[in-house]
Amino acid sequence: MKVVIMGCGRVGAWLARQLDADGYSVTVLDTDPYSFRRLNFPRHLPDYKGTALIGNGIDQEALKRAGIEEADVFFALTQGDNRNVMAAQIAKHIFNVPRVICRIYDPLRQELYSTLGLEAISPTTEFAQTLKERLES
Amino acid sequence: MYIIVVGGGRVGYYLTRALLNEGHEVLVVEQNPAICEAVNDELGSICYRGDGCEVASLEEIGTARADMLIAVTGDDEDNLVSCQVAKHKFNVPRTIARIRNPKNESLFKKLGIDVTISSTNIILEHIEEEVPTHPITHLFEIRDKGLEIVEVKIPPGSTTIGKTVKEISLPQGSVLSLIIRKARKPIVPTGSTVIEAEDQIIALIDPESEEALRTTLRGE
Amino acid sequence: MEYQNILVPVSGTDIDEEAIRLACRLAKADKAKIWVVYVIPIQRTLPLDAEIEAEVQKAEEILDRMERVARGDNYVIETDLLQAREAGPTIVDEAIEREVDLILMGVSYKRRFGQFSLGSVVPYVLKNAPCRVILYHQYTPPTEDET
Repeated sequence: MKVVIMGCGRVGAWLARQLDADGYSVTVLDTDPYSFRRLNFPRHLPDYKGTALIGNGIDQEALKRAGIEEADVFFALTQGDNRNVMAAQIAKHIFNVPRVICRIYDPLRQELYSTLGLEAISPTTEFAQTLKERLES
Repeated sequence: MYIIVVGGGRVGYYLTRALLNEGHEVLVVEQNPAICEAVNDELGSICYRGDGCEVASLEEIGTARADMLIAVTGDDEDNLVSCQVAKHKFNVPRTIARIRNPKNESLFKKLGIDVTISSTNIILEHIEEEVPTHPITHLFEIRDKGLEIVEVKIPPGSTTIGKTVKEISLPQGSVLSLIIRKARKPIVPTGSTVIEAEDQIIALIDPESEEALRTTLRGE
Repeated sequence: MEYQNILVPVSGTDIDEEAIRLACRLAKADKAKIWVVYVIPIQRTLPLDAEIEAEVQKAEEILDRMERVARGDNYVIETDLLQAREAGPTIVDEAIEREVDLILMGVSYKRRFGQFSLGSVVPYVLKNAPCRVILYHQYTPPTEDET
């Protein structure tokens, strides 16, 4: 199964390493090469053996280089909600990737894009919910 | 009309000024407080400080009653989201997005943005206009009606020179609307107007028949 | 100092009446005209000419009260009701249009997020006024936790 991840921040890198260890074929895309340090650090985790590419996920050419055309899954995990939304829509509507998941911090925008058919997750509401459940349990 | 302009940079500022001059109610949405202040000082309290992609901000400024939203920030993704939120959450009848990367044009269309303006494409079109090897220049596109206005230059040696408009067999649905001649007033052509070398002809056509018009007029 | 036209913006707070009285006192000597304006703020969700019955009624009551206050001091004032997006620019525009030579504003003591605040209207008027401005600030005795 081929996975493309846009954004090599903490979440993107962590996810990439876990999926890589589980045997997925993973490509991570980020505009900042410095972010790729997260793929091999901390060292007590297994080393990342997948691909890391410099590129902007809202650029169709960069997505093609990352193998979006053969990808089964695309994750949009940069810090920018709008960037994630746009990349996710490119993956879904231009490259017809079967499963597209995107992070949207803003709960209202997450709600809107969910109704438009994007699989969108808001860490804001999820984490607030987790905290609330901790308090109540 | 109530028009919301997202992005108070240079494009947003001049656009807003022009729209205000035409008598529209305009509101600029801008995140940067310094730019907000500058716009307010220059154009009179019409800048709202906030994120033009955020549902909450757009709700507060009455996007639901807006006739048009024009997103002209420097980032394609922000312009896309702003227009999509306006369209899908607030049913704004017309959304216009500025795009930097011309490749995004088809994506934006596919995602329901009514009009996209690419400065890169505009500059390219101007270059086309300047370079004489381009036989047809696109001046304007009327998308809803499937029409476009083009300019064709009659090269010396064209077989149409000396013929009247009536004698030329124009492709279906084409209208020659204006002939511009060097150092003369533009002529509104009639059936008996004779085509001369170096004429610039402005025509209203169906985009499909562009090629046919070019061959006919330039006599290639 | 002589004044011919004095503009007194009111907002329906306790300080308004005192501001009117002060304006009357200043005006009497020069037989100056006093314009009292109330600005109804219209949210962007509504068109500028929207008719908000409740707001208009409230504004008219305030302006009537101001007229009575002035009459009590034997002075006749003129009142005006305006609808606008923002009060600051409207007050400044009004001052320019009516060629006033003094704006006298009553300012009530306000707190925002627990801190003393002048709000946004007063600084705007001070910055942009085409004439002299008198701020008449409400006295608020300090509460115990502040001393």
